[in-house]
Amino acid sequence: MNMLVQTLSSFFIYAVVAIFAQNAVFSRALGVSRLVKLVDDGATGSLLFCACMCAVQLISAPLAFLCNKFLLAPVEWRAMLRPLVMLLCSAAGLGIVLVAVTLLKLSAANKVARMLPMATFNCAVLGCLFLTTGQNFTFVQTMGFALGSAAGYTFALLAVTEAQRKLKNRSVPNTFQGLPVTLLYIAVLALAIYGFTGHMVAF
Amino acid sequence: MWAKRVQYLNENYARIAKSDRIFLNNPVIMSGLGLAPLVVAASNGKNALMLATMVLLMLTPTRVLGSFVSKVLKFRALAYCLSAAVLYIGAYYLMKDWYDVQIVSLGIYLPLLIVEPIIIKRYERNTPEKWTTALRKGLLTTAGYALVIFLVGMLREFLSLGSLFGMQLVETPILPMANLASGGFIVVALLCAFWRGAVNVLKKWINMEAKKYQ
Repeated sequence: MNMLVQTLSSFFIYAVVAIFAQNAVFSRALGVSRLVKLVDDGATGSLLFCACMCAVQLISAPLAFLCNKFLLAPVEWRAMLRPLVMLLCSAAGLGIVLVAVTLLKLSAANKVARMLPMATFNCAVLGCLFLTTGQNFTFVQTMGFALGSAAGYTFALLAVTEAQRKLKNRSVPNTFQGLPVTLLYIAVLALAIYGFTGHMVAF
Repeated sequence: MWAKRVQYLNENYARIAKSDRIFLNNPVIMSGLGLAPLVVAASNGKNALMLATMVLLMLTPTRVLGSFVSKVLKFRALAYCLSAAVLYIGAYYLMKDWYDVQIVSLGIYLPLLIVEPIIIKRYERNTPEKWTTALRKGLLTTAGYALVIFLVGMLREFLSLGSLFGMQLVETPILPMANLASGGFIVVALLCAFWRGAVNVLKKWINMEAKKYQ
């Protein structure tokens, strides 16, 4: 019983840390290039993108954990091979999600198939895999961090999408409209999170 | 001579701007590509130099190799990412040889280049790319990105530490938070705004000059 509570608490602590204190976008700027593109697409496309990303991340994280433990750890030049192995793990995640979506015959299957490569091969997914394997997280910590990281990205995307209404205001100077003002808004949120945690996260 | 040149620039501005990856259509400033390493890892001149070297070693070769591999592997996203990951092995070896343990300061942002949109973005287009076009555009994009990396790296080092490539220039740092992620976002945002403003001014000036000679 005690072990179960410890496991669950570890899972949730890592998930919460990944959502807020180590938010992929606000503390490490992971996937921010994709985020600034997505904010113009509207909430429906963005949420579907985040759902795809979450599914891929949750499948590829345990694969990356296993590959790191049994494949990369014994190898001396693992630093060179790690990106290739992590990429193959996320590609496997993409394949599994694609097969599942096709078998379930979801109405949005075509849209998901178009979105999956963008949701898989981005810095937020690979960044999470690099962090969990590089910092030698346990399996539970890895899963908690992967879930929290995807949730944190969704939170950041929704926060920035919601702010677009205000950011598109005419009072914003012409040269600041679009990308610059969006980045400034992200900077303010990043500063707030830094103020909350009080330290710069390791990368 | 001048009148002809200005009128040519005015009439062909859109075409020239589209192919110019350094100033008029810089991938970072205009499209927001490659932001993650800029905002976090490019916090000083040395890191900017290492990032620029890695981008030089990876961007063009990935684009060229990707153009060949995508002819065989129909899943274009995987073709480009795999090309980048394979090239990373050689690039990392060279980086380790040139910079030794200093590359550790780039953390996960060095391997993350294999999925950085500025390197693999071409997969999103359905039409295959000729290797000569990939080579030309790759080199131009590398130059544009390297320029922004250096500007951001040096600006952030000067603002946060008052130095440039480790050489102390001012006693008191102007903006110590510039080496944080939030400071990186602010520096990049301001650079984008001023750069875009300069491009707009140039465009208007060309237009006005062309009108004078009509």
